[in-house]
This record gives sequence, structure tokens and C-alpha cells, in this order.
Amino acid sequence: MGDKLKDIINKQNQQQNSVAEQLDDVVQLVGFMIGDEEYAVPILSIQEIIKPFSWTRVPQVPSYVLGVFNLRGAVIPLIDLRLKFGLPAKKHSEDTRFIVMRNGDDVAGFVIDRLTMAIRIKKENIGPAPDTVIGDDTIIEGVGKQEDKIITILKVNKLLERDF
Amino acid sequence: MDEFQEILQDFLVESFELVEKLDEDLVELESNPDDLELLNGIFRVAHTVKGASSFLNFDVLTHLTHHMEDVLNRARHGELSITPDIMDVILESVDLMKALLEKIRDTSSDDGIDVSACVARLDKITGGSGNVETPVASAAPVEEVAEETTQESSEESAEDEDEIDYDSMSPEEVEAEIERLLAQRQEEDRKKREAKIAAGEKVPEMPNPDEGKEEAQEKKAEPKKEAAPAPTPAPTKAVSSEKKEAPKAAAPARKTPAQVEQTIRVDVKRLDHLMNLIGELVLAKNRLIKINDDVEERYEGEEFLEELNQVVSIVSLVTTDLQIAVMKTRMLPIGKVFNKFPRMIRDLSRELNKKIELIISGEETELDKSIVEEIGDPLVHIIRNSCDHGIEPPEERVAKGKPEMGTITLKAYNEGNQIVIQIDDDGKGLDPEMLKNKSLEKGIITEKEADSMSDKEAFTLIFRPGFSTAAAVTSVSGRGVGMDVVKTNIEKLNGIIDIDSEVGKGTSMKLKIPLTLAIIQALLVGVQEEHYAIPLASVLETVRISKDEIYTVEGKSVMRLRDDVLSLVHIGDIFEVERILDASEHAYVVVLGLGTSKLGLIVDTLVGQEEIVIKSLGDYLKGIEGIAGATIRGDGGVTLIVDVVALMSMAKDVKTTTLTEGTEGGSAVKEKTQASDYVVMIVDDSKTDRMIMRKALEPMGITLVEAGDGQEALNILKSGDYNFDAMLIDIEMPRMDGYSLASEIKKYNRYKNLPLIAVTSRTSKSDRMRGVESGMVEYITKPYSADYLASVVQRNVNFKAEFL
Repeated sequence: MGDKLKDIINKQNQQQNSVAEQLDDVVQLVGFMIGDEEYAVPILSIQEIIKPFSWTRVPQVPSYVLGVFNLRGAVIPLIDLRLKFGLPAKKHSEDTRFIVMRNGDDVAGFVIDRLTMAIRIKKENIGPAPDTVIGDDTIIEGVGKQEDKIITILKVNKLLERDF
Repeated sequence: MDEFQEILQDFLVESFELVEKLDEDLVELESNPDDLELLNGIFRVAHTVKGASSFLNFDVLTHLTHHMEDVLNRARHGELSITPDIMDVILESVDLMKALLEKIRDTSSDDGIDVSACVARLDKITGGSGNVETPVASAAPVEEVAEETTQESSEESAEDEDEIDYDSMSPEEVEAEIERLLAQRQEEDRKKREAKIAAGEKVPEMPNPDEGKEEAQEKKAEPKKEAAPAPTPAPTKAVSSEKKEAPKAAAPARKTPAQVEQTIRVDVKRLDHLMNLIGELVLAKNRLIKINDDVEERYEGEEFLEELNQVVSIVSLVTTDLQIAVMKTRMLPIGKVFNKFPRMIRDLSRELNKKIELIISGEETELDKSIVEEIGDPLVHIIRNSCDHGIEPPEERVAKGKPEMGTITLKAYNEGNQIVIQIDDDGKGLDPEMLKNKSLEKGIITEKEADSMSDKEAFTLIFRPGFSTAAAVTSVSGRGVGMDVVKTNIEKLNGIIDIDSEVGKGTSMKLKIPLTLAIIQALLVGVQEEHYAIPLASVLETVRISKDEIYTVEGKSVMRLRDDVLSLVHIGDIFEVERILDASEHAYVVVLGLGTSKLGLIVDTLVGQEEIVIKSLGDYLKGIEGIAGATIRGDGGVTLIVDVVALMSMAKDVKTTTLTEGTEGGSAVKEKTQASDYVVMIVDDSKTDRMIMRKALEPMGITLVEAGDGQEALNILKSGDYNFDAMLIDIEMPRMDGYSLASEIKKYNRYKNLPLIAVTSRTSKSDRMRGVESGMVEYITKPYSADYLASVVQRNVNFKAEFL
């Protein structure tokens, strides 16, 4: 009887642990398209996602910094990820969104072509960035493997870092 | 411990205020040595600080103030007359007092500053009128006595204070007091421990070789307190007189808190937050006004407009008042800065052996706290400069027939939205030729620049880095750094410096500074489709000019402005604005003035004056040259604020592009290979009318795009999705009518040759005239036949016959 009880308790413990592990091991991401590639950033670093509206050009910045826009009274920079990733500019369409990302006090809006979906991905399915881009400077956090595709996960702090 | 901190804070705040006033009073006392009222006031300050510091166990401070008090007490009783030498010692002790207070503020302890030398000197003054000249052969014993008496009397005075205090204390206060005394004990222990460490510290004010010895003595003095030696005659007198004085001195000190209740000390952060909120409100107000204007336009004559108007004007009125009220809470009288100058002038005149009088007026003029903090340094530099280079030595002045005493006037007053601080001296003045030669010598300017320089421009040379007119570098000035700092600091505050000078008569300098920094008046200007805000404080005037008034000299644009030649720069060249709109025949020049330099900024349009709230661009975009920040406009859009300082320096390197360039004739025209390559836009608010036109044109096989009003049409056009060959435009439409649409379109270079065809039921001649004026090429009146419309379109798009 005592053994049985122990067994049950042990089993329960194991289950609980595995649940905790599962929670720990899953990363929630938001996926989006830029050109033909799918990228993702952690959901917790996203402040909001908004439809495009007008912005003000700022002089003397690289072309991928489109300018600044007014987000409820705050002046926030707007960065076009297409241009930043070296793709040709494209007109904003119905699907275009501004993703406002935050890391500490740094906030910026990023123009993306299209949202895909919220993704739960296990940590073990995230591989390191390819050897060729490994280093402190890379903006790639890792590569998420899913059944049919791979997703590039971006480092939000690097995206929000001024690099000009 | 918190209780103690609180008391300490109050003590420090009060002491600093008192000491600040002390400086001023002392200098005044020197010129009026017999002013008993003044003397009494000064004595009371020393006494109050002494009382409080002994209460808080700051032995060094007590020691010092006690001896100051002694000297002042004697002077008060007429036993001593204040000579400049005595005054020097007193002022020195005030400096020490300040240093001690600062030390207490930073470390909560007054250890580590040596006061013995000063005390000895103070003691010499009080140590019997005959004793004054006695050399300090046996300084140590004298100090020992001083040491003892201090401890003695401080203890007594502390007792005095205690008695008074307990009487007037509420139960809670007594409890707090007990707690505080406990804390004090701990503090004392801690201090003793720290004293050992502090002994090694550097003394900022007074170099003293035998500091270690003094420290040791002080420690020795402590046990002696228990021994309570008989006080020497002189100190007894001091103590007794002090006792007599104590109630009197205490009385005003107790009264002050009652008056102070009228004010509240508020954390500056809270005020800043309040200011931010007001900023948001101002933005909302601007927006409301804009919406009101729009509504007014659309619903002209409606009754509810009246009401809306009233509400809007009340809101904007109250907002403005509120803003002013909050701004006022942040205002400090400039006297806070001015106060230190009498003392400085006194020290300088003694150092330089000159006779200088300082006349201050307008010290009650108020300025934003942040500006008051920034303005101190530049003023120090300017006044030092006036003393050193401006005012001549007495002999020279007499020889020139001027009064021996030189005068510097420091005056502050309001002028519109600015405050003006004016510094005048009646010294030798600035010699423009000498300034030019000197600058040439130092390679600051070229020969050519010197020749074309006006006197006023020559005066500004003193603000160039590396410039110094003093033949010899003195400890006061002449290193060629100071005035450069003045210019930088004033420009940082968006201020303007104006110098006037006459050789032999003197120099007058005016600093014009905006009242506040967070919300400013700005001039909004337009260039192409963009808007920029220029701080109004930097705008001297605006001028409308035609293109042929602009001359080019050595690749730089200039224009004549009355008697001056003004260098020009196009705002579009500085901010890399794409030239998409057609340049008009006229332009506006915004004349910017900063410090002493001027620049003409060419803009396309003047939008108007608006109150704007400065917002930072954030970390990501900070430090963009020429941009000081951004503001949110009434329509919710962001407008960048021009950094006039940076703009001035950028203007030097900008290459001018001629204003008439950029007529490449639009985008390359593609060869039409089929009928559907022709694209025509139909703009009409009536769906039926659009349908009729579509029916008439569809047989041709061309592509048709429809728009419901002018605004929509303009947006489609600007989006660049189509290359239109012609547009059919109705005149009467909501939002934007046909005429406005046509004139908007014609502003763009690339649409200059786009045929615009009016299709309307308006038939009068004046309507036709307006059509032509706004750039329409054809005028079709409704009703029309389908064939006629088709033929007009074909003609205007150069429809190739083979597609028919």
C-alpha cells in the first residue's frame, strides 16, 4: 500500500515537473513576412501592432529609417525592415503593419509586409544562428524549426539599437 | 535616523539661505560700517547657524561660527570697527562656513575641513583690541583656549537651545527628539570613526600644513569638555552677551517658520511632470482649435457652431492661463544668481587693485528654474571680463577724466516673451580695429574676412574660441576660454547676445533669453510638402523676396537686407528635401539671429506662429544634426523642430543647388502599345456623372480610374500607382473642389503637363476664367454628348489613331 502511494505521488510529481518544464520550454513568438522570408520576435517584446498611418521624414538618416510618427503623444522612430534587410522598397498595402517593439526604454515602430501568426515553439526546436552570421553583431537570435518551414527569430534589442 | 535626516535637511536649507544673504549683507556692511541694523542682522545669522549646528553636534562648524559671532558681537557693541582687513577674515570664515555646510550636505558630517587658521585670525581680532598685531608665536596655546571656550560655550548654547525647544515642543516632537538624540549618539560614534579617515582628506579652501596636528588637538579637546575649565574673561563676555541675545535671536528664527507655512517646498520632479501634462493639454488644445476651424468651414451658419466656438475659446483660454500658472511655479527670481556678484566684484576689485561699483536692478525678474541654473556661469565670465579688461585702473581713469570708481550695471527686465539681462560697464570699451588685428594674429579670421567685417561683427570676435584681448593672462581672465563658454551656454538656452561698445566710453552686453524651455513659440515654415518649426526666439524677421533678389557670391547665396548683406541657405538643402513641387517665383526668407550671427533661411511658405511642446526624438534618433526635437501638431502629425545653433554651422558647408533646377519633365514616358495604356482619371462626386463619363469613354478601350472628390483624386495621384494621361474634373465637390484640386496638382513638377479637363454645369465666364487660372486646359459644360467628350479626351492624351 505504502509503495503504491509512493508510486502515485512520484508519478504526480513527475507530471507536475513535466508541465513546468513544458511551460519553461515554450517560447511564444509573433511571426511576420518581410519579402519572401518569415521572421519572428518574442511576443513579450511587442507593445502593439497598428495599421500604417502617416509619418514625418527625418533628414540625415539611412534610408531604412523612414522617420518618426505620433503614437498617442509619443514621438517614435519608424524603421522599414524591408529596406533594412536590403530588399527593394514596396508600396504599403492592405496587409502592411507597424509593429511597435519595446526593450526597456527603447521603442520603435517597424514596417513589415504581413503578419503571419502567433507561434508557440519549443526551445529545443530553436537552433543557433547559422555559423556564417554568428557573433555579437548579428541580429539573429536563432532559427526556429517547424514541421514545414523554418523561421528566423530576431533579437529585439539589436533591432532597437542605433547602428548609424 | 529619519527624524535626524529631516532636521538636518531643514537645517541645511535654512543655513544655505542665510549664508547666501550673509555675503550680500557683509559687502554692504563694508561700505556702511555703522549700519547697526545690518550688523545685527549679520550677527543673528552667525548666531542662528551656531545654535543649530551645536544642537546637531557639528563641532567644527560651531567652533567657527562661534568665533565669527564674537567678532561681530564686538563690532555690534562699537568695540571694533570693520576695516577691509577684518572684513577679509570674516568673508574667509563665511567661505569656510559654506564649505562646511556643503560637506555636511554631502557626508552628514563636518569633519575634514580645517578651520583653525581662520579661527585663530578671528580670535586675534577679538583677543583684546591691543592684541591684534601680536604675531602668532604661540599659536597653539591661543587655539587651545579657543578650543576649550568653544566647547564650553557651545555646550551652554546648546543647553539654551534645548530649554527653549522642549518648552515649545509637542509630545510627538519630544518623542522625536529623544529618538534624534539617540541617533546623534550613534552619529557621534560614527563621526569619531570617520575622523580618522577624514584626517587624510584634502582641504579645499584653506591650505594648512599642520592639519593632522589640529585634528589631534580637536580630539584632545573632547575629553577636556568633562573637565570644564574656567572660561577666560573674554569668552565669558561673549557668552553672557550671547545669553542676552539668545531670546532676541531665537524670536525671529521661530517666527520665520510661521511665515514659511505660506509656501510649500515641492519636488522639482513633480513640477516637471505637471509641465509635461500641460504640454499634452496644449497639444490637445491646438488640435481642438484646428477641428473647430474645419467644422466651422463645413457647417457655416449653423447654430451649434456658436456654442462650439465658445467652448473652444474657453478651453484654449484656460489652457493658456494654466500653462502660465504652472510655468510661474517653476520661476525663480534672477536675484538668486545676482546675489553672488557683489561679493565677487568686491574680491575682484581688491585683487586687481581697481575701484569698481556694482549696481544691480531688476533682481526680482523671474526666470524658469532650469535657465536660472544655466545662466550663472556665463554671467560670471562676462562680469569677470568687464572687471579685468573693461574697467581701467584708478590712475588711468583719473587721467582720462573719468571718476575713479568704475561702474558695472547689472540689470534684468522682461521684454515680450524674453528676458533681457544687460551688463554695462563704463570702462575702456572694445576697439574693433584692435580686435580684428588680434584675431588676424591668432589666425582666427582671414585678411579678407577682416576687411569685410562691420564693427558689430568685430565685437563678436571676443566670443571666438582661443581669443583673448588681455595682453597678459591673469588669474581672473585672459585665457581665451571664458567668452566662448558664454556664447555656447547662451545659445544652448536659445538666447541671443547683443554687444555694443564705444572706445573710451564702455561696453554694453545684452543677453536675450526665452522665459521657458519646454513650451515655446515657434514659426512654422513649409518646404515642398514638409513642415518645420523654428523657435520664434531665434527669428528676427521674415521677408518675402523674388528669385532675382538672390545673388551668388563664391558659390554662396546672399541677398541685400537693407544695408546688410545676408547669407542665405535653402532649408531644403540642409534637410535633403526632395524637390517634387514646382518652385514658385517667390520665396520667403526667415532671418535667424543667434548670439550675434545672422542667417537667412529660404523657405517655400510661412505657415504661421504656434505654441509647440518640445519632445525628444528618443535615443534611437538623438543627435541628428540640425534637429532639436519634434512636436506634435494639431492634426496629430509630427513636425520637426529646427536646431538653430546647429543649422548655422551646417549652413557653412551646404552647397547651394540653384532654385530653378529639377525640371526633368517628369518620369520617362513609356511608349503606348495598346489603348489600355492610356489612363484617365474621372473626378466627380456624383456616381451617375461618373457613370455617364465612363460610358462615353469606355468604347475607346482606355483605362479609367474614378475618384469621388478632390482629396481622393490627389491621394490616388500621389500614390503613383498609375501614370495618368489626363483628368476629367468636376468643379463642385465636397472636401476639395475642382479649382483647388487643379491648383494643387499644378504645384507638382511632374504633373505640370498633365491635361486637366473641367466637366461642369457652371457656365459663366468667370467660372471659365477661374478654370484657366487654376490650370485647366479644357472646359466642358454639362450636358455634353458622349462623342464630344471622347474627342476632347482623345485630343488631349494624343490618342494614337491606330487604336481607334
